[in-house]
Amino acid sequence: MTMARSELRRRAVRAGLLAAVAIVYLCLVGMVQAFSTRNIVGGNLPLSRILLLLPSAVAASLAVRPRVRGGVTMELNMGEAAGAGASIGLIAGAAVAVGIGIVNLIGQEAVRGVFNAVTSALMLTLTLQRSTVVGTAILVALSTATGALFALAGVLAPRLRRPIVTGLTVVLLMGMLQSVVRVMLVQLGLATQWLYSVTFGGLTYLGAVASFAAGMAAARLWALRREAAAADAAERAEAGGRPRIPRAMLLVPVGFVLLALPALLGTFLSAVLGQVGIFVLMGLGLNIVVGYAGLLDLGYVAFFAVGAYATGVLTAAVNSGSSLHPGLPFLLAVPIVVLIAVAAGLLIGGPVLRLRGDYLAIVTLGFGEIARVLVTSDWLKSFLGGAQGLIAIPAPTMSVGGLHIDFRNPQPFYYLALGFCLLAAFVSWRLANSRVGRAWNAMREDEQVAEAMGVSTVRYKLLAFACGAAIGSLGGALFAVQIGSLAPSSFVFFISIQSLAIIILGGMGSIPGVIVGALVLVGLPGFLTEFAEYQPLIYGAVLVAIMLYRPEGLIPNVRRTRELHEEEVEQDAWLEGVPEPAPSMTLGEAVE
Amino acid sequence: MTPLLEIAGLTKRFGGLAALDGLDLAVAEGEIVSVIGPNGAGKTTLFNTMTGLYGPDQGDVRFEGQSVVGLKPNQITRLGISRTFQTVHLFPNMTVLENAMVGQHCRGRAGLVSSVLRLPAQRNEEERIRDRARDCLSFFGGRLSGYRHDQPAFTLSYANRRRLEISRALATEPKLLLLDEPTAGMNPKETLELTDQIWRLRKDRGLTILVIEHDMRVVKGVSDRVVALDYGKKIAEGTYEEVAHNERVIEAYLGRKAAAG
Amino acid sequence: MADGTTEVAPKPTATVGRLARFPLRKTIQLVIGIAVVAGAAWGAYRTISLGTFTGAAWRDLVVFGVAQGAIYMLIALGYSMVYGVLRMINFAHGEVFMFGAFGSYFVARVLNDHGLINSSPVLSIAILMIAGMVCSVAVAVLLERVAYRPLRNAPRLVPLITAIGASLFLQNTARGFFGDQDRGYPTPDSLGGSWTILGIPILRSSVIVIVVAVTMVAALTWFVARTKTGKSMRAVAEDKDIASLMGINVDRVVVMTFVIGGMLAGVAAVLFALVFGLVGPFMGFVPGIKAFTAAVLGGIGSIAGAAIGGLILGVLESVGPALFLTGLKIPGPNQLKDVFTFTILVLVLIFRPGGIMGTGEPEKV
Repeated sequence: MTMARSELRRRAVRAGLLAAVAIVYLCLVGMVQAFSTRNIVGGNLPLSRILLLLPSAVAASLAVRPRVRGGVTMELNMGEAAGAGASIGLIAGAAVAVGIGIVNLIGQEAVRGVFNAVTSALMLTLTLQRSTVVGTAILVALSTATGALFALAGVLAPRLRRPIVTGLTVVLLMGMLQSVVRVMLVQLGLATQWLYSVTFGGLTYLGAVASFAAGMAAARLWALRREAAAADAAERAEAGGRPRIPRAMLLVPVGFVLLALPALLGTFLSAVLGQVGIFVLMGLGLNIVVGYAGLLDLGYVAFFAVGAYATGVLTAAVNSGSSLHPGLPFLLAVPIVVLIAVAAGLLIGGPVLRLRGDYLAIVTLGFGEIARVLVTSDWLKSFLGGAQGLIAIPAPTMSVGGLHIDFRNPQPFYYLALGFCLLAAFVSWRLANSRVGRAWNAMREDEQVAEAMGVSTVRYKLLAFACGAAIGSLGGALFAVQIGSLAPSSFVFFISIQSLAIIILGGMGSIPGVIVGALVLVGLPGFLTEFAEYQPLIYGAVLVAIMLYRPEGLIPNVRRTRELHEEEVEQDAWLEGVPEPAPSMTLGEAVE
Repeated sequence: MTPLLEIAGLTKRFGGLAALDGLDLAVAEGEIVSVIGPNGAGKTTLFNTMTGLYGPDQGDVRFEGQSVVGLKPNQITRLGISRTFQTVHLFPNMTVLENAMVGQHCRGRAGLVSSVLRLPAQRNEEERIRDRARDCLSFFGGRLSGYRHDQPAFTLSYANRRRLEISRALATEPKLLLLDEPTAGMNPKETLELTDQIWRLRKDRGLTILVIEHDMRVVKGVSDRVVALDYGKKIAEGTYEEVAHNERVIEAYLGRKAAAG
Repeated sequence: MADGTTEVAPKPTATVGRLARFPLRKTIQLVIGIAVVAGAAWGAYRTISLGTFTGAAWRDLVVFGVAQGAIYMLIALGYSMVYGVLRMINFAHGEVFMFGAFGSYFVARVLNDHGLINSSPVLSIAILMIAGMVCSVAVAVLLERVAYRPLRNAPRLVPLITAIGASLFLQNTARGFFGDQDRGYPTPDSLGGSWTILGIPILRSSVIVIVVAVTMVAALTWFVARTKTGKSMRAVAEDKDIASLMGINVDRVVVMTFVIGGMLAGVAAVLFALVFGLVGPFMGFVPGIKAFTAAVLGGIGSIAGAAIGGLILGVLESVGPALFLTGLKIPGPNQLKDVFTFTILVLVLIFRPGGIMGTGEPEKV
């Protein structure tokens, strides 16, 4: 069944306006200009131009999706889709054109007095380095064409659409991660000239086509594999057998890649991975508190600070800005650091035992801020160095057969971080599947009932805080090792949010989710230096978007999925009106 | 012999209203006692106070001779009092088996270290917890067993949720079981079945049971003794026949029912 | 209560030791309480006997604290009202405040270029307030529509996390739009100096802040108590579902709540900018958290609570470090101002989770 003309028009205008808002936003916030130097393919397709067309593309392909109304699926034919897509692109392009017009009318200086990002460079980027009129016209035309093309892709059968989307994504990723991929290929001794252009940095046209083809092929293969796997599973279910390849076997290649990565990536990229490792630890620790026990801790940075400062004070041998400098070796210091962190966890956990939900969040945030202010203050200056922080934190070293290893160097550091992460992941995994994990689960679902069924909620809340603190402090210890000096400005609220965003993106309660979350949110901005400035902005957007559209995260923990979705209206209904053992309810009963 | 449960002068006030007003009650080992009374008579408050959700304003609750006043709910559960809730209170997103396994929590000791290292003792204990949980679920025959073990609790039917709650309470290995309106929302056939099962709980498992119930057929069917409450006070006590024919009870409770019916 | 003696018991399976019965929480509360009061008293005694501050200095600190508290009060009302109606902490309220400040800043610049700010300061401040309100209201309503409305029935932590994300997003949007440098806010020259009221010289800016804030709170109290919209707001705060069954348009009431919160935040933003003379993208965070603390301190969900909480917090923050810490010879007491705020928050939630004006547990409302 086809859609009514008026509805189609309404939907296209809506999508077009949304795309227009998105484009104007991206220009004003400065992202378009920031990405104008990273060429993706050849010399004519920098990331900024993709960013200008992306909103129209996304809006067009989503707007033409078939919808179900009153049990009838409404589909668009190709012509209608192309028309709708073109108008979406046109509206978005026109919005940019209007914007350019306004800037020229009022004068760039005046506009710049309000919006910092409106520079002549941005105007040139928007008009594709041509004269205002010609450039704007080309931009509008490009935008219209993009809209039409992506709308057409949107109405294709999924069997065709998926490979195309995957192919385009691979091209984009290969282009964006040009430095990473190139370094890896060089390390492997492979030629890169055919793939990446020497003059522009981005993919060559050949490279783009090859990447696209590879992406399409991968998508197709994946689909075939899944069909086969489904058939296989059905067969096995009938035979009642076990999977052919034990899952543990999959760990072997993964482990091999993990061990080989620093050799492939070189120092700079290994350093980024070390950074990722620190945040995997932070994510794993917070995951225990938030994901397992359901206590939203917004002051997690406190444990990071405890770990970092304790390591700094304990390992420093010379005057580091602290009056204490016992100069313990790192490996001896770590257990003490963890113990201090556990004490801090109990100290923070104690007062908040009775608080639930949002109040707990705010109070823990307060604790995080207290930690930051205390390390900055003159009061504790003689121990923690005050506003100047700590310096001269030694790097742990090791000698293996005459080979001297300094763990501050990115590659050895990577292995240190990997070791800590594996340990923390193992502990998290074991805990999740034990009596302790079950008690946390029960407590998260219904604190009072868990208590009535014999779970000591006091003990398990404290235990969650202690475990979270211990793992987070390992992250802090690594941070101290990596940087070698600590400044109080590193321990801000944003660290707590970063850790939270990692587990939200990956999926609360999911260990693989934490790893993916850290890779995406810490790794990608590390590889793409232009992104660093927009990191907080992107984190904010990620938190909102995930909560609105996919609260279970990218790699969900099965149970949390059920918990976070509203499909269990039924479930809510029977949890509603439950006689919370609250006086008011009993009184209400009495009145009945 | 000292009774298993001994309640003396128990008083609990909410604001000016006394939900329990100097209540005395004793339950001997192996007895099934029903608590009846109109809405707001203080029945659920009695359970909440006994299990430590509320601290009483006055009076004492003694279980096996020792006072449980001032203990936390989890400690009382460990001593051997377990309960179900008037409106079902499961862990909706945990599976049926996991719900029952939480009940076994207070009979285990595995902590952080042994869980992480998965020591033999911990593995045995986990095995035992699982077995006992299965056993408690199998009390209701096939209704909560087999493929149902791995279903999340919120997918269960209303009657099965009630049964799972009882299983979970059983899994804490109680001596005294408190059932708060166990048949509410069940159809007549299920109610009959449950009446029978309450008997079996005592016969097979040797439990002492205190049950709040509105359905007089159930009360008649299961009770050795019936206690009637009104406004937090005990207004009658005795066999079903005695209580059912007590004038104050009829006035306070059955009278309304008779008038309505 | 329980008597200590135990009768001869029929062999209990498990026993609970005397230690388990020990009221640990109450004891810890008592110890903390005594420690805090004793520490504060000792610090205050030492400070006063040191005589570092004169009576006039104390008076100025108190007056400044009241003015600061009046600003917190206006922001706190936004948190409090939204919490009352939706049971969520609108973490991004500080950013609503910040956008109000920026909106009025751009208007102020235009007014300044035409010399209006100094030639007719009263009119200019009125215009600035309207500009601030418009901007804040726009951001608040947009926030509600885009981020919060779809999550109205989600588990409680979901909207909170969304609000945190929105806060971060808005903060950095402002940073991208307007740059991360603080900008100087043009203030009328006549706002400098002080007026003598009842024989006490008080900074003119403080007087304006206090007068405007008190007026706003009075107007709000009247609005909520008397108007139809105000009454439906209270109904929705009581029970959303029932209110909607009674024919109240819940969506409209929620939007109204955000509009009112935005208006108050906009006014607060202009006052803040007039006092401190600066606007910047990160200016909303700390006042936001402090105002939330004030709301909790007074009892979240209550207008009078937010007002009292704001004032108390403002004064404590201004007087507290000097009074309690100087005497203890703690260097740089003013650096610890924020520790003070958060410690107060923690203590309030431990001892009186419902706040000063509230009753009982906040989460069981």
